[in-house]
Amino acid sequence: MRHRQSIGDRFFHVLNHSFFILFTLVCIFPFYYLFINTISSNDLVRKGLVNFWPIGLHLDNYIKLTGVGDLTNAFLVSLSRTALGTILTVAASGFIGYIMTKRELWRRKVWYRFMVVTMYFNAGIIPWFTNMQMLGLTNNYLAYILPGIVNVFNIIMVKTYIESIPKELEESAEIDGASVLLIFRRIIWPLSKPILATIAVWSAVLNWNSFVDSLVLMSAKPQLYTLQHRLWIYLNTTNNLQALMSTNTTTVSAAILEGALNAKVVKYTIAMVTAIPILIVYPFMQRYFEQGIMLGAVKG
Amino acid sequence: MRSPEKANLTLKSVGAGSLEILFRVAVILLFVMLFVPGANPARIVDKVNRNLSLFTSGFFYRDLVADMGRLLDKGWIRKGTMLLVYFSSMTACLGILAAVAGACMSLGNAPLKRLGRLFGAGGGAIAALGMLGVSRAHAELLSYLDLEKAKPLEPSGISVVLGLCAIVIALSLLALALSPAPAKGERARLDTRMELFLLLLPFLLLVFLFCYLPLWGWRYSFYDYHPGGTLSKESFVGFKWFVFLFQNDATVRDIVRVLKNTLAMSGLGILTSWCPMAFAIFLSEVRSVRVRRIIQTLTTIPNFISWVLVYAVAFCIFSTDGFLSSVMVNAGLWANRKNLLMGDQHIWLKMLAWGMWKGLGWSAIMYIAAITGIDQQLYEAATVDGAGRFQRMWHITVPELIPTYMVLLLLSVAGILSNGMEQYLVFENASNTNPMAVLDLFVYKLGIDKGVIPLSTLVGMVKSLVSVALLFGANAISKLVRGSSIV
Repeated sequence: MRHRQSIGDRFFHVLNHSFFILFTLVCIFPFYYLFINTISSNDLVRKGLVNFWPIGLHLDNYIKLTGVGDLTNAFLVSLSRTALGTILTVAASGFIGYIMTKRELWRRKVWYRFMVVTMYFNAGIIPWFTNMQMLGLTNNYLAYILPGIVNVFNIIMVKTYIESIPKELEESAEIDGASVLLIFRRIIWPLSKPILATIAVWSAVLNWNSFVDSLVLMSAKPQLYTLQHRLWIYLNTTNNLQALMSTNTTTVSAAILEGALNAKVVKYTIAMVTAIPILIVYPFMQRYFEQGIMLGAVKG
Repeated sequence: MRSPEKANLTLKSVGAGSLEILFRVAVILLFVMLFVPGANPARIVDKVNRNLSLFTSGFFYRDLVADMGRLLDKGWIRKGTMLLVYFSSMTACLGILAAVAGACMSLGNAPLKRLGRLFGAGGGAIAALGMLGVSRAHAELLSYLDLEKAKPLEPSGISVVLGLCAIVIALSLLALALSPAPAKGERARLDTRMELFLLLLPFLLLVFLFCYLPLWGWRYSFYDYHPGGTLSKESFVGFKWFVFLFQNDATVRDIVRVLKNTLAMSGLGILTSWCPMAFAIFLSEVRSVRVRRIIQTLTTIPNFISWVLVYAVAFCIFSTDGFLSSVMVNAGLWANRKNLLMGDQHIWLKMLAWGMWKGLGWSAIMYIAAITGIDQQLYEAATVDGAGRFQRMWHITVPELIPTYMVLLLLSVAGILSNGMEQYLVFENASNTNPMAVLDLFVYKLGIDKGVIPLSTLVGMVKSLVSVALLFGANAISKLVRGSSIV
């Protein structure tokens, strides 16, 4: 049975819906605006005439930017660190999380505390930098990978999850004489897939978005800059296309400059390339992202 | 008759136990020696980079001779000498790694222990051989080097490593002699508890390297250090920077300004921390599940893009060439295009707004989940009693959400000094530096851009300590008020 809507009710719903529609538009319109400006006639874009819908569709900007050496490079750096970082974090979190559930582990509590305590303090950015320098990880690709492998928060999530799996499966395998590694691979890994998927999507986003490590650690090696770092540099340089290209790239061909590219379009296109992976992947993976924050909340 | 024998046995096993521990400690020290640049035995001449460790010297020839191209070309330092250093270092590294493997094996049963001792003795001997090679190269270098061209050094690391090797060899051999030969046919194996530990060990090392070792970097705040320089007795200044922080007028002014910005922006965040809760409550009033899902998906997207991209978004909307200027100029409302990202007006509020744009939808998720968990009967009963929409929100939903809200509020109070630096870094420009500088950004610019390592380390250190104290404080309050801890 539904109540008849009173005028007050209707008024409330109109207002409520208007607010949410407006806020949603505010969240999403900038991406739409960026996108239509990258696929519209570059001349109109330069004049500021593409504001609500695309005019003169083409994909030249995206194709031409693949010829800019430092961008392709930055894209590959970001992509590879995202892939490698995610795989390693997922594998390590699963494995350590599993080991942490084993009561046989020598001094289990000590090691667990040793890891958990690190969540509550932080030496600060300068000691982090001098430490990385001391370890020889400045201007070194490994600086993107190694520090991220062990993520204590992920380990806690996996541990909690595995502890909720019935012990019997593991025990029967143990009786059959299966080794720790075999049990992990054959039983624990498949059973903890949901939590590992959550860790994977979070880690992938963090890796893709990372900017400060590239900024602070890679100062002497521009070929290791991430895409985010490159985008920031492009956004902050002059609006003169010639200068923009010559300060930021060494391998730009004359053909690119000949085309109707302009500084605005270049900046927008790079921003779009940086945003597209997230915009495309996120809606399908939303479930896993939400799972992550819920499990984190349970623990917290 | 039997008891003295037993006592003897216990004594022997206790002796063996402490030998074992000594052996492992010595091996661990050797392992550490691999990675300490300050004690690199391969640094026999000042032209070997001071930041090089024995491990790098032994495996990367190019790094070893990176700074001596001309010296080698002219023959002032002979290539043969450096090659001898290189291969000797490599030998030493391999020997030490073998000894480490031996120490790991010593955690196993009798046959594995025996094998471990053989590895220990062998590895120690190989490492010692490597050290002798390095000192041979050193002697060779001294015999022909022109002191004008390069300064030979006396690496103390050589004797340290040699000493440790001797200890490792002696202990391994002693243990081999003392322990009875294991029964024939007994297979070498490792206890599950130790096996698990060894599997975990590499990851514990990573945690140590990237979470604990940075704390060692706090020592910079006690030195007069400049990038490229060294920490030495001469540059030790004790608490000079602590005093400087409070007595240098310019620094005090900076810190006060930065603290004002930090507290203002965090404060604004705390004042608006109820917004996600309100967002969630009103979103749950939208009847259509599908519409709700769509709104939720689209409003959470900004949370997952980086701050650089948020700045790109701001740039495409508010800059001179951006959407707003284009529309306003096209419509004839503005005479000229404007860059709204410039200027230092209302920076605190603008940063708050960007924070909201990015985070509001996502922060609401946790409340939305909590709302779905509320017992529907409560609402029905309230409706029967004549409660209106807002009364139901205020008297049922809000009280159910308050516990979650309190936890998040306490956490944000504990993090009041840490607003992160990315947001402020990307939005900063020449015209808004002053209101934009928060503590994290200030430390970054002071340390990385200006290279004032000691002072920036100090400020960061004080911040870290205060943050930990705040977290414990918040936790104590939570325990007192709610009866449960938040961390």
